[in-house]
Amino acid sequence: MIERLFVNDDIPPIITASHVCKTFPGPVVALDDFSLHVDRGEVLVIIGPSGSGKSTFLRCLNGLEEIDGGRIVVDGIVLDSNEKNRLEIIREVGMVFQAFNLFPHLTVRKNVDLAQRLVRKKKRADAAAFSLRLLERVGLSDKADNYPHELSGGQQQRVAIARALAMMPKVMLFDEATSALDPEMIGEVLDVMRGLADDGMTMVVVTHEMGFAREVGDRIVFMESGHVVETGQGEDFFLHPRHRRTREFLRQIL
Amino acid sequence: MKIRRQTLSPYLDWAKFFLVLGLGGYLIIRGSAQVGYSWHWRSIPGYLLTYNDGHLQTGPLLDGLLVTLEITLYSLFVSAGIGLATALLRLSGSRVGRWLAMVYLESIRNTPLLVQIFFLYFVMAPILDIDRFSTAVLALSLFEGAYASEIFRAGIVAVPTGQWEASHALGLNRFDTYRAVILPQALSRIVPPLTSQAVSLVKDSALVSTIAVYDLTMQGRTIIAETFLTFEVWFTVAAIYLVLALILSFAADQTKRYFRTA
Ligand SMILES: Nc1ncnc2c1ncn2[C@@H]1O[C@H](COP(=O)(O)OP(=O)(O)O)[C@@H](O)[C@H]1O
Ligand SMILES: [Mg+2]
Repeated sequence: MIERLFVNDDIPPIITASHVCKTFPGPVVALDDFSLHVDRGEVLVIIGPSGSGKSTFLRCLNGLEEIDGGRIVVDGIVLDSNEKNRLEIIREVGMVFQAFNLFPHLTVRKNVDLAQRLVRKKKRADAAAFSLRLLERVGLSDKADNYPHELSGGQQQRVAIARALAMMPKVMLFDEATSALDPEMIGEVLDVMRGLADDGMTMVVVTHEMGFAREVGDRIVFMESGHVVETGQGEDFFLHPRHRRTREFLRQIL
Repeated sequence: MKIRRQTLSPYLDWAKFFLVLGLGGYLIIRGSAQVGYSWHWRSIPGYLLTYNDGHLQTGPLLDGLLVTLEITLYSLFVSAGIGLATALLRLSGSRVGRWLAMVYLESIRNTPLLVQIFFLYFVMAPILDIDRFSTAVLALSLFEGAYASEIFRAGIVAVPTGQWEASHALGLNRFDTYRAVILPQALSRIVPPLTSQAVSLVKDSALVSTIAVYDLTMQGRTIIAETFLTFEVWFTVAAIYLVLALILSFAADQTKRYFRTA
């Protein structure tokens, strides 16, 4: 059985990362004594210069990278070498990539079906019905039988969001989900993400879209060189950045 | 420019092919006249097909061709299985698995096929108690499997890592990831070269005649031993291999074309 650290605590954070270290061969220190927590229902936005470790943090959260030190707890489950724990965490965490990474050989609906069938072991008809509902939610029910390459970038990313939602995750991670898109398609993807946030989904969003961060983010984290420089509440963070590095970064990007 | 070259080149290839064939034929006819060889083509068709009591019967050469085809077909499937398994072992996280795959690949690549056939026939076959035909299929499959594994490996690693990451993020296990995501995408890079591999397989299969499997080559040798029609029989046997190889090359080209458009 999966062992959870707490049972009926009063709403503990859904994600707690404490003193996480991650070093790549080189050696490149991607995460350096990195600590951060994510509350339930919260939209946490992570910003920071390229190479500061934002992607690495997200990838550690869903087990794409193994951490060298520290501790990550997701929904009361410790992310460690225990295979059962790892699997359970991966299932509770959905991820949307910058490059969409849709399965090109499957139709849109089958992309969304796949994990429901293979991981959740749902019946074909149940999976298909749920997929259609999710596609409706991202505004693409009419594209269910198309292949990914027949869709625009924005549409592909919305399918990728539906595909991640199909696992009914408790947290959604977005790694620069709009960075690969043409400007005119960014809006439609952000709209879907905004809708998710309004529905109370817990989200960790790495983005360069400061408008979105300001409007939707409950908490903003600025990180650099593998650690958190500053954390602030949505609007306040942008109006009154405390650290010099944060101010410099915001001046560059805004 | 590029398109023109592509549309032109098959005809050019065929023209060159027939030119060389004609030249070769001319030289052989001249040469054989000089060594005083007298040709007896008339009995050759009988070794392919005979007409007996109102129905057609296959002659020894066609029987041999069927055995060659059978060996090729079985070996193609078995070598594909071995190739896939070896490729997966090489790409696996298991140190022992990778080591096993390397030992297999290095021993196959660095010994002659003929020695492998003899080794299996004289050493392994008695131990495992398998017949000649199975030994032949096993030897060819192990040999071609080493090359097929490289084809599979190349096809698998060509699938973008993003596909692995998306599968992982969705919670798919390694087996499902390979089966439902990676291999279907690798197929377009695997099937065409694997079909080309069938051409090598047909040609290499001639070596199984050395362990008295009655394939096309063995039947040819038997006929020559009885009739001394050396030139005619070898010409016929070579022509049959040539036609078979050309058909398979054509099939390989078609699969390439199919996967390019698909
Ligand atoms: N697989 C990897 N191998 C080696 N270095 C890596 C790898 N992934 C990330 N890095 C390095 O780790 C650091 C943090 O990278 P990343 O988390 O991708 O930054 P960000 O997403 O903030 O741009 C960078 O210096 C990057 O070069
Ligand atoms: Mg990144």
